[in-house]
Amino acid sequence: MTALGVALRALLRARLRALLTTLGILIGTAAVVVVVALGTGARARISAEIANIGSAAVFVFPDTGMRGGTRPNAAELNDGDAAAIRLDASAVSGVTVWNTLRARAHSAYDSYRTSIMGVDQEYFSVRGFSLAEGRGFSDSEVRAKTKVVVIGSTVRRELFGTEPAVGQWIRLGRHAYRVIGLMSEKGRSPFEDQDDRILMPIGTWRSRVSPAMGRRVQLIMASAKTTAHTARAEEQIRTILRERHRLGTDLPDDFVVRSQEGFRKAQDAILDMVTGLLGAVAAVALFIGGVGVMNIMLVSVAERTREVGIRMSIGAREMDIMLQFLVEALLLTTTGGVLGIGLAALVSRALASSLGWSLRLDGTAILIAISTSILVGLCFGILPARRAARLDPVEALRQG
Amino acid sequence: MSTLVELSGVGRDYLVGGTLVRALRSVDLDIQAGEFVAVVGPSGSGKSTLMNVLGCLDRPTRGSYRLAGVEVSSKDADERALIRNRLLGFIFQGFNLMPRTSALENTELPLVYRGVKKSERRRRALTALVRVGLEDRVHHTPAELSGGQQQRVAIARALVTDPPLLLADEPTGNLDSVTTYEVLALLQELVRQAGRTVVLVTHEPDVAACADRVVTVRDGSIVASEQKQAPADARLLLEQARQRAERVGGS
Repeated sequence: MTALGVALRALLRARLRALLTTLGILIGTAAVVVVVALGTGARARISAEIANIGSAAVFVFPDTGMRGGTRPNAAELNDGDAAAIRLDASAVSGVTVWNTLRARAHSAYDSYRTSIMGVDQEYFSVRGFSLAEGRGFSDSEVRAKTKVVVIGSTVRRELFGTEPAVGQWIRLGRHAYRVIGLMSEKGRSPFEDQDDRILMPIGTWRSRVSPAMGRRVQLIMASAKTTAHTARAEEQIRTILRERHRLGTDLPDDFVVRSQEGFRKAQDAILDMVTGLLGAVAAVALFIGGVGVMNIMLVSVAERTREVGIRMSIGAREMDIMLQFLVEALLLTTTGGVLGIGLAALVSRALASSLGWSLRLDGTAILIAISTSILVGLCFGILPARRAARLDPVEALRQG
Repeated sequence: MSTLVELSGVGRDYLVGGTLVRALRSVDLDIQAGEFVAVVGPSGSGKSTLMNVLGCLDRPTRGSYRLAGVEVSSKDADERALIRNRLLGFIFQGFNLMPRTSALENTELPLVYRGVKKSERRRRALTALVRVGLEDRVHHTPAELSGGQQQRVAIARALVTDPPLLLADEPTGNLDSVTTYEVLALLQELVRQAGRTVVLVTHEPDVAACADRVVTVRDGSIVASEQKQAPADARLLLEQARQRAERVGGS
């Protein structure tokens, strides 16, 4: 307690100097805190995204890239591919296909541009959508290409306001469709508003919305039995599709298989790189800050050599002197740490509003900031403190 | 009377720029408890080195130093710190008070290193300050005190741990004659009334005259040890000095 009082007094005597010294530590700890917050925030966001779509999901889409003109016709996927995967891929538990088109929809009240999706019946279970009102498509409606739609809550709000939507009509192009169901709200994913869509049976979509598409599908989504089955499911799908598309061993895939697991790994890799980079910046800032603290502590020891001599003459042991200067260094760095948390709070608030991520400074970040600043104080304070403690009392008393 | 300080064959060598300097050659000195000893000698004679050895600030290169019956010449730094805290009180020429720190806190400092708790520290520091006549200056910082008052704070700080031996290194070197005799009168009282032992280094014969014994150091050796039959009474000299000062002030 007394060591703290002495240190505090010494620092308050040279306020500006102390404040300038803490600057490096301040920036360093702020960087550490932001890195931690950014890391946790981004990871939470990725997990949420994956959980929203389903962590075992595997996506297949046509590879439309023209590779040096070797494949003049754009590759395609069709219902047959989906059926083959459903039948032969043992690691896959469900398969759904869908096509999307953006178009303007009209109700009796309003009009609104949204995604018009043709889906099969499995879509709801594979994507994890449920119905809030009404019902889904029946087998006969799918077969008969009946003009019925299920809408998301955003569409309902845009087109019907507060009016009940189920039972109303929506016009798309030349056709009118009856609303038979309303999906439960799914919320925003970072890329899209998942409630901003109109779903209809894929047969209906093909014959009424985009007849030119024929039997082609834009996307096949399979769900692996478990997250652990993802890799095997990917491999099985690739084998099945290569066989069906009659690709020789020398030809590359004309489709792309992407799993959520792979997506997560890619995101994690990017995240690791970004946090690593920021972490390096933080480490450099902390190191420079620490050297600054060491420098100023050495000055402080030199200035107070006589004081050390007096303290020694009245009975201060090496440990007492060492503690006094170490506490002073710690006080400097922890002050920097606390101010750094403040700066980090401002920075992450700014980042959060510009990125639209939730960046929270939780207990872990604060704990890390404090312990980092303590560690820096110990590392860079020990040398000056030892120097003071090792002073010869006779020499020290002779000083100015 | 018991022997408080026993030096036998104490020498201290320094290596200065490659040459050996024999600051103390071979010193034998016994000081009894309750003695007031003045150490005199020209500058460079080794009296400061002797004081540093006596104060356990420095270790003798050879010889034996027994303080209160304990051999201290071979103690390590922390043990010597403990001895300084328990058995010794220092009074310096330059007062050596903590700047921007009140008289009370300065006086408390040795007790801080002894681990005495705050209320007890406060009480003992106040007692010591009353003893040196500074009860109305306890919250003043050194800058707000005169030289004599600062030296009295230093004496209070030396007294607060109740040490058997007080070491004063040119304590009146920075003081005018009135305050010199104030400090000397206080030291004499501490010896006569409280039974303290005082070793005082000085080069002023007037100051040495107040001691019971004058030890003369020259070239790193004790060349004389003269027991005074009737030491000068500092209290009396103080009165005379005051009267002189008043006359000068009045004219």
